[in-house]
Amino acid sequence: MSSEAAEKIVPSSMTNRSIVVAMSGGVDSSVAAHLLSKTGAQLVGVSMQVWDYKKSCSDNSKATCCSPADFNDARRVAAKLDMPYYVVDFEAYFEKEVINRFVETYQLGMTPNPCIDCNSRVKFRELRERALSFGCSHVATGHYARIRESADGFHLLRGVDRDKDQSYFLYTCRQDELGKTLFPIGDYTKPQIREIAREVGLVTADKPESQDICFVAGSVQDFVAKIGGRRQKGDFVLKDGTKIGEHEGIHRFTVGQRKGLNIGGLADPLYVIDLDPSTHRVILGSREDLKRENFTVREMHWVNPQLIKRVGAGESAFELDVIVQVRSRHQGVRARMKVLDKDTCSFTWHDEWAAISPGQAAVVYDLQNEELLAGGRIAK
Amino acid sequence: MIIDCDANATYAPDERIRGVISSCLDSLGNPSSLHRGGQRARAALEEARASVKRLIGAGDKDTLVFTSGATEANNSVVAAVADRSGAIVSASTEHPCVVQPLRRLASRGRAVTFVSPNSDGVITTESVAAVVTPDTALVSIMAANNETGVLNPISAIASKVREVAPRALIHTDAAQLLGKGHLSMRELRVDLLTISAHKIGALPGTGALCIRDGVHIEPLLLGGSQESKLRGGTENVFGVALFGAVADMIAADLPGRCEMMSVVRDAFEEQLMRALPDVSINGRGVSRLPNTSSVFIPGVRADDLIVAMDLERILISSGAACTSGKPEPSHVLLAMGQDEERTRSTVRVSFRADLSVDMVPRVLSALTHAVTRMRRMTMKG
Repeated sequence: MSSEAAEKIVPSSMTNRSIVVAMSGGVDSSVAAHLLSKTGAQLVGVSMQVWDYKKSCSDNSKATCCSPADFNDARRVAAKLDMPYYVVDFEAYFEKEVINRFVETYQLGMTPNPCIDCNSRVKFRELRERALSFGCSHVATGHYARIRESADGFHLLRGVDRDKDQSYFLYTCRQDELGKTLFPIGDYTKPQIREIAREVGLVTADKPESQDICFVAGSVQDFVAKIGGRRQKGDFVLKDGTKIGEHEGIHRFTVGQRKGLNIGGLADPLYVIDLDPSTHRVILGSREDLKRENFTVREMHWVNPQLIKRVGAGESAFELDVIVQVRSRHQGVRARMKVLDKDTCSFTWHDEWAAISPGQAAVVYDLQNEELLAGGRIAK
Repeated sequence: MIIDCDANATYAPDERIRGVISSCLDSLGNPSSLHRGGQRARAALEEARASVKRLIGAGDKDTLVFTSGATEANNSVVAAVADRSGAIVSASTEHPCVVQPLRRLASRGRAVTFVSPNSDGVITTESVAAVVTPDTALVSIMAANNETGVLNPISAIASKVREVAPRALIHTDAAQLLGKGHLSMRELRVDLLTISAHKIGALPGTGALCIRDGVHIEPLLLGGSQESKLRGGTENVFGVALFGAVADMIAADLPGRCEMMSVVRDAFEEQLMRALPDVSINGRGVSRLPNTSSVFIPGVRADDLIVAMDLERILISSGAACTSGKPEPSHVLLAMGQDEERTRSTVRVSFRADLSVDMVPRVLSALTHAVTRMRRMTMKG
């Protein structure tokens, strides 16, 4: 690797520091570890034991990560790269901070973001704390995202590979965390990562992609029902209250959902336009019924250093043209963001619009759709 | 250089042991073959049997059966009494390879009592006597605990059991005592004794069950007439030959070996108490193995400390070696009446006989640095 390429991954000022590399046993984190190992940094591989699949699924073979086989892959990669490797138990934290919130949010008729909770509450909090107690200053992960340092602070950018970009899940990163985090693969595309893995001969080179939600083996709905233990049935109704069917519980639905409603015989396709946890009703309507002229986002996290400064100084009621991404698989749509206070923003669509799901993250990028500026949760 | 302070998990072969490995390979063959290859293997097997019996103080007529390890030996003992009538007495501090087979018997309706230790971790004679009845079929109590190193009064327990229950089989798992203290099957007055080869520097996959003369138990593994028809399967000649060779090395100077261990362990404990006065050492006031320190360090997560020490190339553990990534709280410390939080802040340091006392300051310096760093973080958090 050229020294310039190495510099992009690890600033030369810290190559003698110790870095914890979060290793899932997949190809991305394996290559992240490989790229770091070329820089001469001291590495410590860590796999996080976050979830026991037996709690939610009788068939452990369906597990998508955290299985002993995945850890063995990570262990083999670490051994090949001659780095120490440990499995660290995070089950209790993960259950409290991710699983329980995931299930509760569904039961409230909202759409959860387990990957965001995992990043902000487990990976970048608990793992960082463990890293410090091991004597390591930095944490590296296999996320497709980039961090750039400039005079005013750290900037979080989308990964070069836009199809794999994972910055959406990282909007809760604080400046101090960005300064101690490395995303070694953010400058690469997925095909490049696989190629590197094959060239180096990593056992994970041709492993299939992991699924969306790592701890769910099978259907999300069955998972929520099993862990949450509540299966209150309810009615499908139209906007005017007309009952047109029955369903197995609102946890099975997300606002904007069209598939899997099992209601036929109507001329136009039906969408879930609202969920009412108090009456267990799922309200159906047309795509146009999903349109909101504007929407509010709460629990804002500010990532861009300039915005942190402005909001921190108490500046509010300022407006900005931005791109807002309202779910993980979404390109982002132009909108006008109005900062109401440091925790709350409202958004007005520019020309295009997207269906929003309360509870989901709305993540704000600059107009080049490159730098992540801020993010929060869409209010009901 | 790596400093291995986890000898109770496994004792990696030292240079002297490595030196005899190739001669042990020469003995490879099937001991049941009639030809010279087989006879040479058989001779090596019997040579090793004599050596190991000497190390454990077995009587000439006692039968030493080589097994695949202590786990198989202990399972054999439990299986042997499965079909007999009468209750079983063991201890809650036993190794899982005793506890789990007994739990399975209990789940099938067998009366099994697990005696609790006192707060030092000792299974006292009185506590065993309190539950043994004339009807008891088996008493199984380990000689030394793998996590704390605490010794149990096996000969006194055996004498008491023989008074009350003359029919009972008395078994001790001596895997941890082997090579770390005076061990005599005859003095312990037990019927059955388990040992393991890799705890003294020979190979994992090798162990033995010694059966006192006059005691008969059914084999666990059927399939051949090997090992006096007590354990079917072609003998692990290489592993057994090495076991015998290591047994001879240890027997040549056991008191000296124990002395070297205790010098290091005592220096470690003394300096540790001075550096971190709030730590406490489990079972410090009772008889222990000379090499083991079970240390409670308040305010520190044991698993993190193990990693931090490993990054300094010093190997320690949190109680028993863990097979999964999900450590359970120590059943031994819980049985001693400690709360879960305390067990999760306890590490085991177990020294090898060849570790120089000059290494103790390096171990302590790494330990105190890591502990200080972790405590500073906890206070901030």
